[in-house]
Amino acid sequence: MSYQHAADNWFSAIIIALIATAVLLNIARAKAGAQLYIRRIPGLDAIDEAIGRSTEMGRPVTMIPGLTAFGVVAVQSLTIFKYITKQIAKFVTPMRLLTANATVYAVAQEAIQDAYNEAGRPDLYDPDNVRFLSDRQFAFASGVAGLIQRERVAASFMFGEFFAESLIFAETGNIVGAIQIAGTVSFTQVPFFVAACDYTIIGDEFYATSAYLSREPVLLGSLVGQDIAKLLFVLTIIVGAIASTTLGQNHWFIKLLGMPGGWDAFWKAVFGGQ
Amino acid sequence: MLIDMGTTGGRVLMALIVLGFFVLAFGLIPLLQTLPPQGRRALIAIVTFLAGLFFATEFFLPLTEDDKNFLTPGVVPAQRVLQVIGSLALGLGTYGLIRLHLRNVVQKRGQWGYSVVLMLAFLTMATFSIWNTLAEKKLVAQPEFQKRGFTLLFDYTLVQLDASMFSIIAFYIYSAAFRAFRVRSIEASILMFTAIVVMLGIVPLGAYLSDHLLGLPTQVSPEAHPFSLESILYSLRLTEIASWLLNQLNAPVQRAIEFGVGIGGLAMAIRLWLSLERGIT
Repeated sequence: MSYQHAADNWFSAIIIALIATAVLLNIARAKAGAQLYIRRIPGLDAIDEAIGRSTEMGRPVTMIPGLTAFGVVAVQSLTIFKYITKQIAKFVTPMRLLTANATVYAVAQEAIQDAYNEAGRPDLYDPDNVRFLSDRQFAFASGVAGLIQRERVAASFMFGEFFAESLIFAETGNIVGAIQIAGTVSFTQVPFFVAACDYTIIGDEFYATSAYLSREPVLLGSLVGQDIAKLLFVLTIIVGAIASTTLGQNHWFIKLLGMPGGWDAFWKAVFGGQ
Repeated sequence: MLIDMGTTGGRVLMALIVLGFFVLAFGLIPLLQTLPPQGRRALIAIVTFLAGLFFATEFFLPLTEDDKNFLTPGVVPAQRVLQVIGSLALGLGTYGLIRLHLRNVVQKRGQWGYSVVLMLAFLTMATFSIWNTLAEKKLVAQPEFQKRGFTLLFDYTLVQLDASMFSIIAFYIYSAAFRAFRVRSIEASILMFTAIVVMLGIVPLGAYLSDHLLGLPTQVSPEAHPFSLESILYSLRLTEIASWLLNQLNAPVQRAIEFGVGIGGLAMAIRLWLSLERGIT
């Protein structure tokens, strides 16, 4: 098989089903009116401060989704950028959204136009502010670095999937003195952002951003579901560690937890005791 | 295959089918525009749900002996649809790029000279690339100057520029590391000390310092007790400490982040599939 399938590892398939159930149940709970708490994320509180600084300086804000291809990461990035654009529209601050993926570019144009419409300033939308630079990694990097240098941007928001080009963006922004807030799912790039940016959103905080900014019940419920899923993982790790220490590696329960394989392997392990 | 592509008639028929789909696809766009926003949203929600249902069902349904279920043959064509949409969007991206730089030149906006350079580079590269692709398919002749021109532009210019940009990262790492390792707090001090140990431990200098200068044991017998002097001294080698830091401290944290990202991505995918995500839709 050249693609992933539940039959490759039944355990992962069950985990996916459990996480999905936890998320959906909590969305339903939030919709029913349950009060859900979300902790403070300093990097997201600083978004308004960065926009305010750009407005005072009269310099543009850049938004960079990195090399993100169109998918869940891109949707999340554009949701964050849409929120930022709504804030920008209130203060008539110039903005540039720079993409390396043509599909993301097409959707970004719509999202940014919507943001200006929702903010009540459709007149401020300029399609030239959403730019597709290049789909080649370092051509895109040089394009972004050049724009940051030429326009002396005052704030730079980097949310999405980044690779080796992350440090080029972050250091160039640092050189021009921009306030920089980055959030990425690429954990290998986190150290670079931590070193070069003012605030860094790490790991799953990236997916919590839209819930934090909008406080929508659906998103808050989903976030609580994610936390329950994480708790499940922690419990699995603790139970697995204790069980493998006390029962030994050859016990059927340990094999059940650690055995990759299809549905046949699952039924055999559960009902065949092996 | 129902259409025989070996014959002229077959090729013409296939071309007409492709053309028909193009007309249908582009005809659908104005038709969709006439729908009220709520109708458009409902249509998008239905298409998204059906597409998600297809992939989810294919993923969970058991496979037969040939590693397939009844939905598996549809996976590759469905993924090709995404490629087609991506290709159409690439045209849109290129159009946006050219429109912006043409405006810069026509209106003589600031630094419009860069736009001229970009358009010239774009036209030259596109001409040589398309010519090269057509020549590779034996559709046009490939004179020597075209071959050399393409090599000059692609191998000797574009690839080298990519490499130059990549190498600039080395300098940026240096300046970023300089800021990160400045001892301003207890956390920064721990970070700097840890970084020094890891950097020394993974290069030959670390092994030299531990083995020759400090004279720490280079191996330990398998029977040795973990808390024996021999084992403790062996564990104090820089290479061992660096390896412990990377594998016992760094790797679990990275995995924890990966778990979080995976769960977050899955939750987002579920919200998109069921059209519960209203961020940009």
